[in-house]
Amino acid sequence: MTTLIYAAIAIAFLLLILVLLQKTRSREPDASMPDNRSAPNPGNGHWLDLSERIFNPSDARWLKEELSFPKLAEALIAERKRLAIQWLEALQVSFDEVARTPELTLSDAPEAGSDRSWQTLWLTLRFKFLVNYALFVVRLFGPYHRLVPSFSWIPFSRRSEDRFRRTAMANSRSSD
Amino acid sequence: MGERGSCGACPSRAGSMHILGMVISFCVFLLGGLLILRGAASKLIRLFPLFYSYIIYDFCGSLGMYLIYWRDPHLYPSAYWIYYLVSILVEFAVLVEISDQIFRIFPAIRNLGRALTIVISVALGLVYILPAILGSTHRRQALFDFALRASVTKAIILVVLFYVARHYGSELGRNVAGLMFGFAIYLAINIAINAIGKAFKPALGANILWVMSPLASMLCLLVWTLSLWKLAPIPSVHTIAPGAGRDSEAVALELTRFNSELTKLLHK
Repeated sequence: MTTLIYAAIAIAFLLLILVLLQKTRSREPDASMPDNRSAPNPGNGHWLDLSERIFNPSDARWLKEELSFPKLAEALIAERKRLAIQWLEALQVSFDEVARTPELTLSDAPEAGSDRSWQTLWLTLRFKFLVNYALFVVRLFGPYHRLVPSFSWIPFSRRSEDRFRRTAMANSRSSD
Repeated sequence: MGERGSCGACPSRAGSMHILGMVISFCVFLLGGLLILRGAASKLIRLFPLFYSYIIYDFCGSLGMYLIYWRDPHLYPSAYWIYYLVSILVEFAVLVEISDQIFRIFPAIRNLGRALTIVISVALGLVYILPAILGSTHRRQALFDFALRASVTKAIILVVLFYVARHYGSELGRNVAGLMFGFAIYLAINIAINAIGKAFKPALGANILWVMSPLASMLCLLVWTLSLWKLAPIPSVHTIAPGAGRDSEAVALELTRFNSELTKLLHK
């Protein structure tokens, strides 16, 4: 019986690989990539202002405490929660677009396994974890909770971020 | 392995299977040599270093096994099993190569495949492969179990890599697709023959393994030789829209910016 199960696994595996291979090869380039023309970007000041507004509890507090409109404040919080989820999802889509960006200048020598590649992967996974955790928190508790860990205590993450920041500063100085 | 018939000159089934196994093994040896020569000629060795390291290991290993077989046949069975077990582990290099190649053009997730391969290998090694070895009372059972579960682990990794590659819209070139398909054929046959070898009597199991194991290698090498005959361009590189590609430095900076902005926002 076990032999039959494993034989079935072998056949199913081969068929699955064939189907996936066919689909991966026949797909039009960039078909899976979403249209991100309006997706947020950290470089876009308007989007950042919007996020400040969405995640800022002062409007709801003002309605509830100073104007004494608790129901209106609740409605505002519910609306802000919806906006916060939309904003975070859009940010994730925008990030995925960056993660899917191909490198133009490919060298012959493989770069995989280098320290730099691991650091970049760490940044990608860290963001993915943070944004998913943030979505979970916003969905569960609303947009006015601070429950996301910073990871700044991990030396590896701090080092990689510092390194990229230093490079960015050096680049901006040289372009000036 | 591959016992000969007891009636001397008359060709028994075991004897013919033995010869068939030897012929297929020799074809595998020749195909391995051809693949290395083509790799050197088309400069693919530089682009697929781990894969060609494995092929060279396999080629040299087969050569060593032939030498042992001719010089000291009594030593051959134990040498075969050691080589077989080491090869099961070395085959993970092919998976690492595939995982590196799939995400090679994406600087943000260049090591994602390698990380997935390592994590899945370690996790399944601890919870799926190791208990089978430690729990087996017979050495033969343990060997087949180890080979079978290692093949299933590799198959799972391959499927996960395929799925993630599709998720990120990675276009597989002819070289990488062939590498994956060839390895999938090899793994599927190995899963089947190890399951059969485990279930049947030792002599029959050994005969099946003697013929089918090199047959799996031959089919796999045939696909690899055809797909790696010459360097095929990665489709994605040719379909990048003007302005869509960036260098790895710019991507890393963008990722850092995304991370800092999100962290800053969530700490308010």
